[in-house]
Amino acid sequence: MRAAALSIAALLLAGALPAQQLKWDSEKLAARASDTVDISLDGALLRFATKFLSDEDKDEAKVKKLIAGLKGIYVKSFEFKKPGEYTAADVESFRAPLHSADWQRIVGTHSNEEGETVEVYVKNDSKGIGGMAIIATEPKQLTLVNIVGAIDLDSLSDLGGHFGIPGVEVDKKK
Amino acid sequence: MEFSGLVRQHQAMVFSIAWHMLRDRAVAEELAQDVFLSLHQHLAEMESPEHVLFWLRRVTGNRALDEARRRQRRPMVSLENAPEPVAVTATGDPLLGTALRKLVAALPEKARAIVVMRYQEDLDPTEIARVLGIPVGTVKSQLQRALALLREKLSRSLGEIGI
Amino acid sequence: MNLEDELRSAFKRREPSPDFTERVLARVAAAPGRREPRPWIRWAVPIAAALLLAAGSLEYRHYQGERAKTQVMLAVRIAGSKLNKAQKKVQMLTHRSNS
Repeated sequence: MRAAALSIAALLLAGALPAQQLKWDSEKLAARASDTVDISLDGALLRFATKFLSDEDKDEAKVKKLIAGLKGIYVKSFEFKKPGEYTAADVESFRAPLHSADWQRIVGTHSNEEGETVEVYVKNDSKGIGGMAIIATEPKQLTLVNIVGAIDLDSLSDLGGHFGIPGVEVDKKK
Repeated sequence: MEFSGLVRQHQAMVFSIAWHMLRDRAVAEELAQDVFLSLHQHLAEMESPEHVLFWLRRVTGNRALDEARRRQRRPMVSLENAPEPVAVTATGDPLLGTALRKLVAALPEKARAIVVMRYQEDLDPTEIARVLGIPVGTVKSQLQRALALLREKLSRSLGEIGI
Repeated sequence: MNLEDELRSAFKRREPSPDFTERVLARVAAAPGRREPRPWIRWAVPIAAALLLAAGSLEYRHYQGERAKTQVMLAVRIAGSKLNKAQKKVQMLTHRSNS
């Protein structure tokens, strides 16, 4: 059913505008945050960064493959000192551009226990997925991700799953 | 700013960052020399003694990170499986220091650099983030994780450690 | 015993070799562009200067590249972890409804 929905969406969107960065106005939120991560990488910067990603490092090689052909990666993550520093209206303002016909929400999860939600949206174009957006909320953190271009969601998720515990080098002789 | 004076003033800092990152005295000295050679080439751009200090920490930290990554890959195991430090006693400070340096040397490069900047240079996370060019959130989380792992490894040998 | 105090003690700065400064100054003196230009190699000085500039630019570019790489890795890590979290939740719910 999902494949059919994507095909219909692709037909409707044939000849649509090229994928563009989402316009998220987060200045007021940043002013209230105790810590902010703000990463803005357009196509040129991604291509530049690719030259410094090692083929010998497993993770870097995977990332290099993942970002090949992408037009932009934009991440904003806000940490707050206590819960309640951002509102449902704030979150809805970030959802607004994703209500357009070319965006489709493919996943929405909510954990009552942890108070966490994750919403994943994809932008469909004639070639398939032309972009992705994530809105993730926790009591003291709000994260916005926008990827412009054809992204492999499985590979991205796989990378996110094992970046966790750092490995440690030990002396071969020991 | 007089160059030879700058070298004498900062040589311990630059060498120590490299040594604590790489644990190879000869390589650390060579890297430190390269850093000062670069400083000489960029001397005209330095605006103040504070700028020199920042520049040296940043260049040394990044070059040590590069060198650490470039060195021959060794088998990766989790710190949980790394060998316990031997002959560690609660009163044997030099031994404890050696054990700590070895454990930190076994951390991933970025975490290692963060620990070195924190405990050798006494930089706070915001300053470390500026020097290493990484987000302050990353510095905080990596530092927290590194300390937790070190604490755990040492506590197996020493028992309770007050933090 | 306080771990952070022990770390400060363990990571005190150390001096390099006693002749470190002299060796640095010797390398600086030997670097291209420092010698007296002679008539028959006058062309070498601007070339050496250009090489030094290029080397400086290359180094700056390298650090810009490393910085961009760090940003890419962090961005992918953040995006991947959120996506992974959602995926795991879906898998968990699917498993529950199937069992």
